[in-house]
Amino acid sequence: MYRRTLTALQRFTLRLDVAINRVYPSDLNPLYYTGGLTNLFLFILVLSGIFIFLYYVPSLADAHPSVTYLTDRVPYGGLIRGIHRYAADAFIVAALLHLFRNWFTDRYLFSRDSPWISGMFMLLLGGLIGATGYILVWDERALATLSTFTELLRAIPAIGGAMASLLVGGGGLSEGTLPRVLLLHVGPASALYLLLWWHYIRIRHPKVWPPATWVLVSLGVVTLLAALVPAVSGTPAAPGATPGAIPLDVFFLLPFWLAGVVPPVLVVLLVAGLFTAGFVIPYVMREAPREMGVRHAGIAQIIDGNCTGCELCYYDCPYDAIVMVPTPHPGLTRAAANRKLLAAVIDSRCVECGICIGACPFEALELPGLLESDVRQRVAEAVRA
Amino acid sequence: MMPSQPAPGAERAPRVVGFVCDWAVATTGLTDAAGRLAAHPSVVVIRVPCSGFIRPSWLEDTLKAGADGVFVVGCPYGDCLNREGNYLMQERIEQLQRRLQRRKVEPERLVMLAHGLHDREAFLADVAAMLEALGRLSALAGTKAAPARAAAASPAGPAQEG
Repeated sequence: MYRRTLTALQRFTLRLDVAINRVYPSDLNPLYYTGGLTNLFLFILVLSGIFIFLYYVPSLADAHPSVTYLTDRVPYGGLIRGIHRYAADAFIVAALLHLFRNWFTDRYLFSRDSPWISGMFMLLLGGLIGATGYILVWDERALATLSTFTELLRAIPAIGGAMASLLVGGGGLSEGTLPRVLLLHVGPASALYLLLWWHYIRIRHPKVWPPATWVLVSLGVVTLLAALVPAVSGTPAAPGATPGAIPLDVFFLLPFWLAGVVPPVLVVLLVAGLFTAGFVIPYVMREAPREMGVRHAGIAQIIDGNCTGCELCYYDCPYDAIVMVPTPHPGLTRAAANRKLLAAVIDSRCVECGICIGACPFEALELPGLLESDVRQRVAEAVRA
Repeated sequence: MMPSQPAPGAERAPRVVGFVCDWAVATTGLTDAAGRLAAHPSVVVIRVPCSGFIRPSWLEDTLKAGADGVFVVGCPYGDCLNREGNYLMQERIEQLQRRLQRRKVEPERLVMLAHGLHDREAFLADVAAMLEALGRLSALAGTKAAPARAAAASPAGPAQEG
């Protein structure tokens, strides 16, 4: 059932690609750059966030007026606030597209788990950053969000109460509350960059940025939206009043809205379940390559005597699975006799794609399951026939 | 066309060997057990784990061994399952085309294609276009038999099986 659904989703993803490739040249297909787009929106968020940070006052009395001052009085303040809001929406959309795309096309399995796991952490932090961002505005929705947030935290068994009072800064709202929320907004955003290092660490030449066209289009769309539909605050929060219903925000506040419909403990269970599933999915759903109907060519092997230490495989490996080490002994062939370096494959990183075999002009690499002699034999049969 | 004397190359369909990435276009149902395309019996498909797996020397040797053309199919550019295999292969094929052009091997004999898992029709159309281009080449070559083989084989000597 799960496998059939995923096959259908993969088919849908690839068909969508084909349709989009009819419109754009395939190297401009925006769906090929969901990761880069996410990073671009994160960068826009950091820049606009620094600007907003300069004007924001994290205190119960001054938070809302400072945001209003930023919006109405600071030159371009409203525009930059709008950019911050819409870039955040675009960030989460791009991140989810990135997640689903890589899930549906099986690009999180085997040696490719570290981008997936780090991505799960980043999604979790992204949700936290979004929710705290709505609280910082300190209007009615902010108050409702905060109280739902504490409710959700209290629904966590054992440690929930402590976490809630850590978030609010004591038993109830105090001057300590908003600085904490601000820290929880800015801190995780900085942590995203640490996680990005983990996200990229096993990827050679990651596509960090989308093509220039899409950078400009994204900037334009976000700016245009910010100008046409300005982001505004609601009425200032009145801490004594009972929090009203939260206006639905599909991008970040969906769990908070849900908490108003079903008991908070169910929402906590749902979120915890989703993320647990996300963290274990590369491992529990893992079938052997053979069962998946995938070639199991084996981890690339260096032919020691032929390696000249030229580093071509090292440059071409897309997963940094090849390292160059000082050679312990000279190679056997004439080209390899004076080598300084020797290539070595890190087994845990190898995805068995064979790109290093294509890169090597010295016949110093082989895939055990598909040797060069096998390929040559197939070619000879094909030409003879 | 001269009806009285058909061109020698026109009778035989160009013999083509294609390397197809496991993650690019699915050829199940398109080929027989030996990898021969049902739609174009002169084309034999060899599946490989990634288009980047192919050594350019194998392509060159395939031409030397008697193929009229050779193509490689990778995933659509930007969507290689292994991230960069198709770009790397595209570059390697361009370099090989330039290198073989100096030996009078036409670049049309080496083709890089990019088709996703379900793009069978587009793939077959590209193969048909390649066969047509090869047919034009052999018609141009006139009575000379298999110019690619002769030109590619002469400087390097007979192809050696590795």
